[in-house]
Amino acid sequence: MDPEIIARFSAAVGEKNCIREPEQLRTYESDGLASFRATPGIVVLPASTEEVSACVKIAREAGMPIVARGAGTGLSGGALPVAGCLLMGMARMKRVLQVDLDNAFMRVQPGVINLDVSKLIGPQGWYYAPDPSSQSVCTIGGNVAENSGGAHCLKYGFTVNHVLGVRIVLGDGAVIDLGGPVPDQPGYDLTGVVVGSEGMLGIVTEVVLRVLRKPEATRTFFATFPSTTEAGKAVSAIISSGIVPAAIEMMDRLAIVAAKAATGVDWPDVGAALLMDVDGPLAECEHTSASAIELARKCGSLEIRVPRDAAERELMWKGRKSAFAAVGRIARNYIVQDGVIPRSAIARVLEEIAQLTARAGLRVANVFHAGDGNLHPLVLFDARVPGEEKLAEELAGQILRTCLRYGGSITGEHGVGADKAQYMPEMFSENDLETMGRLRCAFDPEARFNPGKMFPTPRLCGDKEQSRT
Amino acid sequence: MRPASIEEAQQAVAQLAGARKRLFIVGGGTQLGLGAPAQFDERLETAGLNRIVEYAPSDQVVTVEAGVTLAALQKELAGNGQRLSLDPPLPERATLGGIIAANSFGPLRTRFGSVRDLIIGVSIVRADGARAKGGGKVVKTVAGFDLPKLMCGSLGTLGLIVTATFRVHPIPVAHATLIAHGVRTADVFPLVRTIRTAQLEPAAMLAMRRARGSWDVAVRFEGFEAGVTQQREKLRALASVEPAEWPQEAPSGALRLKVAALPTELEKVEAALPFAQSLSWLPTLGIGFAGAAAPNAADTAGAVDAARRSIQVVVEAAPFPLDPWGAPTAALRLHRAVKERFDPDNLLAPGRFVGGI
Repeated sequence: MDPEIIARFSAAVGEKNCIREPEQLRTYESDGLASFRATPGIVVLPASTEEVSACVKIAREAGMPIVARGAGTGLSGGALPVAGCLLMGMARMKRVLQVDLDNAFMRVQPGVINLDVSKLIGPQGWYYAPDPSSQSVCTIGGNVAENSGGAHCLKYGFTVNHVLGVRIVLGDGAVIDLGGPVPDQPGYDLTGVVVGSEGMLGIVTEVVLRVLRKPEATRTFFATFPSTTEAGKAVSAIISSGIVPAAIEMMDRLAIVAAKAATGVDWPDVGAALLMDVDGPLAECEHTSASAIELARKCGSLEIRVPRDAAERELMWKGRKSAFAAVGRIARNYIVQDGVIPRSAIARVLEEIAQLTARAGLRVANVFHAGDGNLHPLVLFDARVPGEEKLAEELAGQILRTCLRYGGSITGEHGVGADKAQYMPEMFSENDLETMGRLRCAFDPEARFNPGKMFPTPRLCGDKEQSRT
Repeated sequence: MRPASIEEAQQAVAQLAGARKRLFIVGGGTQLGLGAPAQFDERLETAGLNRIVEYAPSDQVVTVEAGVTLAALQKELAGNGQRLSLDPPLPERATLGGIIAANSFGPLRTRFGSVRDLIIGVSIVRADGARAKGGGKVVKTVAGFDLPKLMCGSLGTLGLIVTATFRVHPIPVAHATLIAHGVRTADVFPLVRTIRTAQLEPAAMLAMRRARGSWDVAVRFEGFEAGVTQQREKLRALASVEPAEWPQEAPSGALRLKVAALPTELEKVEAALPFAQSLSWLPTLGIGFAGAAAPNAADTAGAVDAARRSIQVVVEAAPFPLDPWGAPTAALRLHRAVKERFDPDNLLAPGRFVGGI
């Protein structure tokens, strides 16, 4: 890289916040999806919106693509560098700028860790609802990029339902505020467009979060079943009864085995288990949890466990939330998929996945958000066995196609990123993708931010005059 | 024109685009006053697009054509004990396409959010006549840019919405409304604080001004019998409230404004609108509606401009042309860029939207 460009980045953010050493650059080669790797040209760690803007301008003049990165926990390769790019690490921008609980919002920088938001306002009885499994390390900026979900989005919605506004730096370095704590600012809902745009529209440097008063009560139960068929029926019965659970998670036999190995939870060896939360006013909670337990029994539950105290409840959730990592105990390698299906099709789709898995001669652990049909099949393989990785990739692809055949989606919360861009044309028509591309062109006509993600083929924005012909 | 099918609508838009004719899209016509008067050659009514395309009660998802009225949809959903948790005015006339385009809402926004929080998929006919879709038919999807949200509040300036998919909710088994009468302006927000401190979770909360400085505040609880009863009794112990029916509130006067500020700023809102005859306010959200007589254009424009110095004001209806949006922010450049990419020939309701878009 041109030493003069390096000097300019160095002047913008300070020499110690410019990373050029090949050893150190390696840290940034991939995100949570380690099978994709590329080396950035330089990593900068800006501390303010002004520094982000300055770096964007330098990169533009140098013709460099820009990729933003939060904690790098993403599972779709959204923060995968483009070789030789400017990688902007947002970790130093971790200040909480404003807390206004009366007006139920907080203003934070993108490097703030998800769980730290709730920790900060927890003592006053408030919290931030979106709770991706990586919430103890992932950042708000990364959550905004991917529109992160979590177990509790069944009742509370995703990141996009909890972001009121953003400050964004555009490709020419301009700083624009979208939305804010006062609702319904005149104009298009561009905050809603930026959330989930996978870092392809600009760099978000401030986020206005909607925060919630904690519910009066939470009731949790863990129910075991002979197989995922009965567990799936229980999910449908509970939701059809009018209960809106805060979360309802399913694990199959293999996922239970892995969670036990990793966390020491004393779960039995069964075909399937559900972990469910209801929350809200105490009497409502008592009623809905009792009804849900009754329905689970009617649908063939073998055993119901209710945690005795908060510590036991936390351990149950730890077992669930560490499921991905836990699979590392029972397999050398694995691929996580994130397909979504209509809830009523869970039993049928799991059966199809089992058949595909048997045909491929592999193992798949299923641990997922059953309430909203967001599957997380973990395709296990051993990369040392020649050909097995390829088989696993093919199986993962077949599973996504099965989700689409049932009218679902290729991703419920992890994002498309580098990983699933190839499947976008199976979910969307050429016109659909071209229309989405227009949004990208409106924000970032030079395609500077995170190029190569989401869309299977690079799109040129072209001159506006040309598009008129 | 009133196309009878999506195909007809698509052909109509394509033909108009070919002839460079400007198009104004109308749903139920309940929000025609919103935005500046648009210049157009043809008016397209969506009333013929009135089919419920797909309803999967067990998945709590419904897809409708844009011209389906909210009342017709609610009737269909009620057959399965479900509803769309959205209660804008005039449900017999308001269409789902119009509700999306105008971002219409009612007091249930307190708990369930606005249409952006309930829509999960959309398909549109673009200004050039091409069909495109975004989102999906499952309650959770993050694949691709969020076209459904882009359509919310876009007032027919980016495309013709032809179908939309929504998440629906169970109709609550029980509900109860309590009203606090004669609440002073400065005491409206403290009532929100009391409710939050007690961890009550109203489905809707609406403050209605009865006289200057004096409000009735309605609180609606929904859920199962046990929870509703507990919350009702708890609130009765904490505040001076009486059981009531949920109020039907409509603004009065020829001038209708949508106003917004922080929830704690109701006093500022009231002070900014000395001319308002009616004023209602969603106190947890910081958004409300004002109605007023509008004696003449110059005085009214002056009064609205003055209000805009302290609060956000959008003119929803006025007997004469008024700046509907107020001064644009720096974000106007992005709103313009989106419009230019979606409608490069400026054929869809030109001039209606923010900043003359």
